[in-house]
Amino acid sequence: MNAEKVSDIDMKSSKQSTNNSDLAMDAYHAKAHFWGRLTIWSVIALSLFLPLYLSFGLGYHPGWTVILNALAAYAGVIAVVWVLEPVMYFPILGVSGTYISFLTGNIGNMCLPSAAAAQHAVGAEPGTKKGELTATLGIGAASLVNKVILVPIILAGSFVISNIPEHLEGIFPLILPAIFGAVLAQFAIKKPIYGVIALIIGLAINLTALPIYLKSLSCIVLTVFICLQLEKYKGKKQGGYENE
Amino acid sequence: MQQAMDLANSSMMWIVASLVIGIVIFQSIKFIQLASKTSIDVGMSKKEVRSALKTGAIAAIGPSIAIVIVAISLIAFLGNPLTLLRIGVIGSAPIESVGASFASEASGASLGGEGYNEMVITAIVWTLCLGGMGWLLFTALFTKSLDNMEKKINKGKKGKQIMGVVATAAIVAAFGNLVSAELIKGLAPIVVAVIAGATMIISTKLSERFQVSWLREWSLGLSILISLCFGYFFI
Repeated sequence: MNAEKVSDIDMKSSKQSTNNSDLAMDAYHAKAHFWGRLTIWSVIALSLFLPLYLSFGLGYHPGWTVILNALAAYAGVIAVVWVLEPVMYFPILGVSGTYISFLTGNIGNMCLPSAAAAQHAVGAEPGTKKGELTATLGIGAASLVNKVILVPIILAGSFVISNIPEHLEGIFPLILPAIFGAVLAQFAIKKPIYGVIALIIGLAINLTALPIYLKSLSCIVLTVFICLQLEKYKGKKQGGYENE
Repeated sequence: MQQAMDLANSSMMWIVASLVIGIVIFQSIKFIQLASKTSIDVGMSKKEVRSALKTGAIAAIGPSIAIVIVAISLIAFLGNPLTLLRIGVIGSAPIESVGASFASEASGASLGGEGYNEMVITAIVWTLCLGGMGWLLFTALFTKSLDNMEKKINKGKKGKQIMGVVATAAIVAAFGNLVSAELIKGLAPIVVAVIAGATMIISTKLSERFQVSWLREWSLGLSILISLCFGYFFI
């Protein structure tokens, strides 16, 4: 229903302004690609420079066998996620959201909730122009706040950790369920059926022994598939879809 | 161990870590600028832009504190600059500690223990830096292809409808999966997740009925805070 409403509004707005906003969005994407790539390539260069400097500048090279062994084991855990995460979050994050999120990190626990909260606050739908810009603004602000909190605490590091009251430490593992529960509810308000479907599939999948990266992927693929079928069915009933 | 930590906290580590964090901050500011400029053409008001920024910032406070608290545990064997470098960009404390322990195992040492020297630190830096680069390389190389693919699908009314459903269903599914993984861990996470969800629904309904926008901006923060207070009695 919501998706139809959005596209109706898009259709109704005059052709002139649609063209203008399309052009502006294209220009925006071109700039986002440029700055996104420039910043990410610079971080890649620095990430190569540091180990090279330690190995050959200072002479602490541990040997390629050690590095390759460690890297192969590590890649065995995370290599699939390198590809899966950017692909599966792209429809939600859009071009600029992808560049910011994958540089600053913490996508599931920080970037997505911030993007969702921002879209929620201004009433923008994910997957629309307004939705993408709002997500980018939300994630950008989140990334800045993250660094503002991260830098001083890491600098003060060891002092802080020894001063957290012991009885409060038990709460930390509960922060994630709190964030996830709230964000799921936020979307379930708009589309309660989607929420129910996702939760049933999610619970079923999490009771299996699939590796973590496959759990997330299969939950997204299955839920999207079922929701698409559901909308198709609804559309047929209302005669909303042409060519059906 | 002492020599290893001296290297881990050396000035070159600090310089590289500061540069990387600087780039991340620069990128966020640049993208906020670009998005605010374009927002006018898409028909967003200044108020909406401010609201999006404020909401994103507030929503990040809780998760950031959680991230940082876990990250502090890395300082003991990675030193401050390397921890900052790895947590400030993509990667998370649990996965970085996995990488670090693989690297020290491959070097025949244990993290922060027996035989932990400069070469082990160097092996860790190689592993974590190259490991984190996977996401960066993929994003730098293929975001444009993903964009073109989406633009093709988005042509036409039907494509737009379908993309809208896909985007919404995908994000609901992502969180359905994340929350399910927490729910199966025990009673306390279930209580917290349910109360967080209920708080979110109540505050959203209230903000809609009485038109209070600050309540919508704070709804995620409030949900986390209130549900954690309840969770405290279940641990």
